[in-house]
Amino acid sequence: MRRLPSLVRVGLKANFGLSVLHYRIFKEKKDRWIVLVVALAAIGLGPTIYGYLHFLKIIYEILLPLGQQQAVLAFGVLSGQMLVLLFGLYYVISAFYFSRDLEMLIPLPLKPVEVMASKFAVILVNEYLTIAVFVLPVVVYFGILSKAGLPYWVNSILVYLLLPVIPLSIVSLLVIGMMRIVNLSRKKDALIIIGSLILIAAGIGLQFVFSRSMGSHPDPQAMLHFFTSPDSLLKQVGAVFPPSVWATQALAGGFSGAGLRNLLLLIGVSLALFYGILVLSERLFYKGLIGIGEIAGRKKALSREELGRRVSSGRRPVRAIFAREWRIMNRTPIFLLNGVLVVILVPILFVIMARAGGGRGDNAMILKALTSAKPLLVTLISACFMAVSGSLNGTASSTFSREGGQFWMSKVIPVSPREQVTAKFLHSYIIALLGIAASSIVLVLMIRLRIDDMLPAFGLAIVASVALTAVGMIIDLARPILDWTNPQKAIKQNLNVLFGFLADIGILVTLGFLLSFLMKIGLSANGLVIVLFAVLLILAAVSAEILLKLADRRYREIEV
Amino acid sequence: MIELRNVSKSYNKGKVKAVDDLTLVVRPGEIFGFLGPNGAGKTTTLKMIVGLLKPDAGTIAVNGLDTQTNDLACKAMTTYVPDYPAIYERLTGLEYLNFIGDVYGVPKAERLQRIEKWLEIFELTKAVGNPIQSYSHGMKQKIVLTAALLPAPRVMILDEPMVGLDPRSAHQLKELMREHCDQGKTLFFSTHIMEVAEKLCDRIGIINKGRLIACGTMDELKKLDAEPDQSLENIFLELTEP
Repeated sequence: MRRLPSLVRVGLKANFGLSVLHYRIFKEKKDRWIVLVVALAAIGLGPTIYGYLHFLKIIYEILLPLGQQQAVLAFGVLSGQMLVLLFGLYYVISAFYFSRDLEMLIPLPLKPVEVMASKFAVILVNEYLTIAVFVLPVVVYFGILSKAGLPYWVNSILVYLLLPVIPLSIVSLLVIGMMRIVNLSRKKDALIIIGSLILIAAGIGLQFVFSRSMGSHPDPQAMLHFFTSPDSLLKQVGAVFPPSVWATQALAGGFSGAGLRNLLLLIGVSLALFYGILVLSERLFYKGLIGIGEIAGRKKALSREELGRRVSSGRRPVRAIFAREWRIMNRTPIFLLNGVLVVILVPILFVIMARAGGGRGDNAMILKALTSAKPLLVTLISACFMAVSGSLNGTASSTFSREGGQFWMSKVIPVSPREQVTAKFLHSYIIALLGIAASSIVLVLMIRLRIDDMLPAFGLAIVASVALTAVGMIIDLARPILDWTNPQKAIKQNLNVLFGFLADIGILVTLGFLLSFLMKIGLSANGLVIVLFAVLLILAAVSAEILLKLADRRYREIEV
Repeated sequence: MIELRNVSKSYNKGKVKAVDDLTLVVRPGEIFGFLGPNGAGKTTTLKMIVGLLKPDAGTIAVNGLDTQTNDLACKAMTTYVPDYPAIYERLTGLEYLNFIGDVYGVPKAERLQRIEKWLEIFELTKAVGNPIQSYSHGMKQKIVLTAALLPAPRVMILDEPMVGLDPRSAHQLKELMREHCDQGKTLFFSTHIMEVAEKLCDRIGIINKGRLIACGTMDELKKLDAEPDQSLENIFLELTEP
């Protein structure tokens, strides 16, 4: 284990591209604008964080007289841990099994446990940064609001460091076990996808069971207990994931008996789980890892007739590039999990969560009342839900980055950048359409959306998706990440995907402001839909034109 | 034909000159070997010809067409094999060849005939239906070579094409390079293997620190050395001495 610190150091440098960034900024003097963009993004986040803190303060003030204010902390802690639990799966699979540096690490005189621990440490650092957005404002602001003393701040540091350890360890244990089984099979890629889906489904199912077991039909006795016990709401919030209750009580309890007891519990379980991974990784990690990239080929050669049949008779270049995009995306597990599967899974998750939370009765009643009272609002919200479901996946905003080191082929083939980009657009757009279709089904099932409300919503969403897809592609084309060694970097850890989301949300919010203005000046419902449709068409045409112009320029400029 | 006129390329905002005022003509029907120590500018030159890098100065023409202003026409008659076969691992060999056939517009009959021929020669017939991910380094190199031959290009640019090939495949490659140029087509390749360059090339260029320090037939290069009948290896070592 003496070699672990240097392994972690190298891992962190490679993961965050620190050496490359340092070289680019200070030696090549390129990419200096990244510093500016990050600074601007931080400033841009200001109002959002202010809004978040304001929201927390309101909740805190409502809960304070009831003695339930710890639930605010539990909410922050839980959202951080849930994030790790749900998205950690992708990080763990790709970092443990698909980063290319593994090929270099396996032959070195290192124990499997050292390689695994270094990868775990790198993901942990990643997670500290990821959960910071959700957890830090809550912990810091709660401390300020409750005028917490030194014990709270000391514990908060410890709790923050421990927070991702339990969920990440659970995910790692499951993944190491799963990959051992996957590696026994010939159909490895398919099993990885099926296995991940089972793990996600199991995770959601478990939380469903936990939250149901807390009881959603309180009798008067239970209600009384609920309001007289100071941590009942906290426990209800934390029921989804009990370690979040320990973390909250460790924070709120400070150096008191309860605080230290919970802190020890958190430390103990974290260490135990981490130890479990070390033991398991020594036995199973390399067995799951070695040969995972090997694809068993068919032993039989293609017959002459078969070859003749499978040699294509000549597709147009746009079709050929579309087919390439489709195949590579769907055959790379990390890309598939973030693309097609996301647009189908997210709406399904909505349904499951809506059904799990308090039953159908209330929600359906409210929605039904809404649909009859404000049909225009229903159309607009449905359109927004469809557009978001179709566009909030990383397909468009990682379309150039996904090519990585193979982008040289796109540069040398005799196909104009416009044609190449058109094929890529069609691919991303079809995935967006899949999302729109899936979310339409969800709307019909959940709120019994009528066909005459649905059609305009559907029409608005498919036009809006043209602009949203093109904007995502523009962002990725401006600065594609082509030097990745781990496919995760092209899509999940690609800042372009985040910028794409922010741009999409920005466009939708701006459209929302425009609509509220038009409503204020008294435009009729039909008029509103027509104006919105026209605006979306113009947006689609403008963004497509910008994309094509940028393609002409960037395909020449990008050097590989 | 490939013509480079006063081509320069530098990195780090001009601090590192990778290629410095290079002028070079590769004639039709000629196998041109490009030699140089590591980091001399060989790959940079090849990448500029195929459009992967943009020259800072100078012009490059393929069969009389400027690669900057007529890029698509130049690309349509040129194929390139990089030093490392970074290709679509998730496609099967045949899907990859079909893709190349589609984007270069190779008609079905010619496509089938050429694919059959090169797969046979490179012993890839059994593997062509499998994902490229399952190929060895040498097999990947051979599928990239097959793809580069598929459009029957007038100009081929190969960056260290022998690396990773077994002796039989390397031999086949040399034969096909000769065959390609005997049809009046042009082949420009870089290599570190002196014997290959000496035996195979019609003309050889030696580049060092971005500058072309020698260029000519084997006989012409031999005259550059004071001692008669030196091997290419000795000439190279003397010319590129640090």
